[in-house]
Amino acid sequence: MVSPPHVVVIGGGSTGAGIARDLSMRGVEVTLVEQGNLTHGTTGRMHGLLHSGGRYAVSDQVSAAECIEENRVLRDIASHCVETTGGLFVKRPEDSEAYFQTKLDGCAASDIPTEVLSAEEARAVEPHLAPDIEKAISVPDGAVDPFRLVVANAASARDHGARIETHSTVTDLRVEDGEVVGVEVDHASGPGKHVHGTEGGTEVIRADHVVNATGAWAGRIGAMAGVDIEVRPSKGVMTVMNTRQVDTVINRCRPKGDADIIVPHETAAILGTTDEEVDDPEEYPEEHWEVDAMIDTLAELVPMLRDARTIRSFWGVRPLYEPPSVDSDDPTDITRDYFLLDHAERDALDGLTTIVGGKLTTYRLMAEAVSDHVCERFGVSADCRTADVSLPGSEAFSVLRDYMDEFGLRSPIGRRSVERLGSRADDVLETSSPNPTVCNCEAVTRAEIQDAIGQSGSDLNAVRLRTRASMGSCQGGFCCHRLAGELHDDHGEAVVREAWDDLLRERWTGQRHALWGEQLSQAMLNYALHVTTQNRDNDPADGDPVDFGAFDAGVAADGGDQRGD
Amino acid sequence: MSDASQPDADDEFPIDVFDDDPGFDLRSGSDSCYKCSTCDTNCPVAEVDDDFPGPKFQGPEQWRLKQRDDEHTVDESVMDCSNCMRCDEACPADVPLSQMHNAARGEYVDGMSKLSVKYWRNRLLANYRTSAFLASKAPRLANAAMNFGPARWLLEKTMGITSEREFPAFATETFREWWTRRGGADGSRRRARERRAARGDPRDADKKVAYFHGCYANYNTTEVGKAMVRVFEQFGYEVVVPDQKCSGTPMFANGMLDDARRHAEVNVSSMADLVDQGYDAIASCTSCSMALRQEYPELFDIEGVDEVAAHTFEAVEYLRVHEDLRGALADAEIDGALAEEFAYHAPCHARNQGLERQAVELFRDLDDVGVTDVGDSCSGISGTYGWKEEKYNTSMAIGDEMFDHMEAAEGQTGMTECPTCAMQMEHGTGYEVRHPLELLDAALVA
Repeated sequence: MVSPPHVVVIGGGSTGAGIARDLSMRGVEVTLVEQGNLTHGTTGRMHGLLHSGGRYAVSDQVSAAECIEENRVLRDIASHCVETTGGLFVKRPEDSEAYFQTKLDGCAASDIPTEVLSAEEARAVEPHLAPDIEKAISVPDGAVDPFRLVVANAASARDHGARIETHSTVTDLRVEDGEVVGVEVDHASGPGKHVHGTEGGTEVIRADHVVNATGAWAGRIGAMAGVDIEVRPSKGVMTVMNTRQVDTVINRCRPKGDADIIVPHETAAILGTTDEEVDDPEEYPEEHWEVDAMIDTLAELVPMLRDARTIRSFWGVRPLYEPPSVDSDDPTDITRDYFLLDHAERDALDGLTTIVGGKLTTYRLMAEAVSDHVCERFGVSADCRTADVSLPGSEAFSVLRDYMDEFGLRSPIGRRSVERLGSRADDVLETSSPNPTVCNCEAVTRAEIQDAIGQSGSDLNAVRLRTRASMGSCQGGFCCHRLAGELHDDHGEAVVREAWDDLLRERWTGQRHALWGEQLSQAMLNYALHVTTQNRDNDPADGDPVDFGAFDAGVAADGGDQRGD
Repeated sequence: MSDASQPDADDEFPIDVFDDDPGFDLRSGSDSCYKCSTCDTNCPVAEVDDDFPGPKFQGPEQWRLKQRDDEHTVDESVMDCSNCMRCDEACPADVPLSQMHNAARGEYVDGMSKLSVKYWRNRLLANYRTSAFLASKAPRLANAAMNFGPARWLLEKTMGITSEREFPAFATETFREWWTRRGGADGSRRRARERRAARGDPRDADKKVAYFHGCYANYNTTEVGKAMVRVFEQFGYEVVVPDQKCSGTPMFANGMLDDARRHAEVNVSSMADLVDQGYDAIASCTSCSMALRQEYPELFDIEGVDEVAAHTFEAVEYLRVHEDLRGALADAEIDGALAEEFAYHAPCHARNQGLERQAVELFRDLDDVGVTDVGDSCSGISGTYGWKEEKYNTSMAIGDEMFDHMEAAEGQTGMTECPTCAMQMEHGTGYEVRHPLELLDAALVA
């Protein structure tokens, strides 16, 4: 047997991880490289909507039909990442009746099941909807956890032999004789699991083919091989509410516009979003008025949002793409469909394929298209199986357990843990060691934290994405240090401190746009606690490490006097 | 920005999650919690029971984590909460903790097997009024039977009601029987008018109160109810004693929200009519006033509930607001059985209403009487809680500090506003326990 081709996939978002899984399941040798954590780019910065396709049913019926089909697939193969919330398109009196009808017709044409609800019926489903809404269309929208989805795809790829490298930035594409033959990678802390303080290094990874699945960053990778990829990154703001005001996805039933969706997500609700073209996917203004305007507008659908607590806001960039010939002025006019760019055909450059556009709901379909394309090139005849084989964690499982009996956990903690872990729950949660709750807001226990550390090294942000620890009301104020403590003894103090700093920094970043009302009180308390108990207000310019020896050494081993008495 | 008109609060369909709604959605209450854990450090149960996850978990954390459509996520440990409501007072951020606990407990009990002994034991304890009503028909027989050793042993083994405690004695004449015998509202109006004339108050002064005696002052400590009537009349108040049922306090604590609601409907309805006519509602039991003031409006959407809550007061509190009580006491003399040193315990529910210092401050200038505050610990009985066989030890462990402080204080008599705190004080020290109204009665009326 000929040895299988080796494919390097650049980008650890949903598309890249999906491609890695698909190709490795077909027997292709895969290396995935990602500059940050998994989901570091756009995937980790979306509102978590599992589209029914309803949002595209008027403007883009091709996308709508793909969405409903993939929606059904993901409910099946990714059940532990998906919450089947259902969705509503809500019409207010000032919204167009004609559009409401067009939406219904569009859903019918795209095979999206709908039901029209009166205002009373809609409020029976969601009691906090505004009193003056007129009616609503119910659709099978859902919520998906993008982190869990990508982690599960990467885990499945690894199970099939793929190599997954995070914190590994592609610095150049190797081009020889008009063909891309590999990538140059800068590992932040050496290959393998990310461990703080480990010396980094560069590596040239040779490949039979390179897939550019970097979304909004695709132009940058293309430029390394001299090809032009006109991605048009478009930013959107999302705001995370402390609790769920709604348990159903709430969409505003009007033509495309800003601030028209509320997605219930785990313990929280996410408000979205805006759509504004930016030049650079990493450097763009994040402005507070965007948050204010979004809350104001969405409060027209759910008035209690006006006074509800927000815990953070974040911006993401869509990897929009359209063939240069279309030339839309407004990013909202750009199609949400995906494009596979065969650079051999397009730019006479062999060895490189780029996938751009699309959306998380159709990640699997995009991965299938890319994998088909790559396999065809190398004569790999294996069929795509990603629509049929469940992701790790999504094998048959039940969330209705006797949590206290089986795992010694209080019921809401057990329930949330089992929902996150899916079919892995018994493996992770059955432990004979003490299993305290480490993150109280999100109900994450030590066993789950340790499981995540086992997967991702000392990177506590990777632990956070896997477990939701530190993502609740206090935004890590009460658990970042506990999480850091969980790294010890496997890692020494220097690693623990660096990992802890990284996590805290990340947690504060997202709170900048939530610092009023209750979250400001929370931030003040967090700050005070961190200052008074963790020396977090030390002057960085001071530079001297803390002299722990100067402190009371406690009770002497012989039970005698304490020093300093 | 959108050009939509702002939704009008008075619109045709008010958003009211409580409106004939079988359940509560209190998730948004957790928005106020910034996790400081002050509630946990003030929880008397958490202090003695390491397995109890504490009010922060029971309230804001559990509500945020639980899922709306899933009644099975309320944890069983909510039944270990004694509903002392100290967390409400401790919270610096106005998290509706006890409301969250009451609602969660209601949900948990709804899902409990209606065939379980514990359910029926709790229901029996929660519906003390019914038992007391029956016992009052033959009080002497009831008193003998209820504390008959073998019967108590059986009650513990079969029902889980501790045999460590003595059942309270039932009065041979209920307060209401005494009230009727004494001429009821007409008699009170006449006596109040006479007192107003004697005091120089205007003849038709607006001094009208409706007494919420609760179960205990009616069936057990009737002297508290009688003292209340005499003291209020002494200050020229006309007293009425409207139809009433249990305040619901033991029902909240046992998650029997349907029972509590039925009783609350009767109480609110009779009190609301009187409040409309200018009466204020007065309770001598601080848990009863707490129920009318806070728990009713938090848990029930009954017509008039907010008006009644705004017009409900504890008896001594009311007199301190409207009368020169200290002046009257400064001139008063007392002798006999109540010229005593008292070890005063402030009930948790009094604390919640800001009343924890009133007895100490009030009697400071009364000659021949000393009142010592025994500190801010919880008595531990919390109504029906300490009666449960499996909770008895927790209850006594919580009460330990209070017992010690009572014994360290001068005198051999206790004082408190709460009838079940009194029960615990007596159980732990053997002291006789009096209500501040009894002392007022002795000083100002007798």
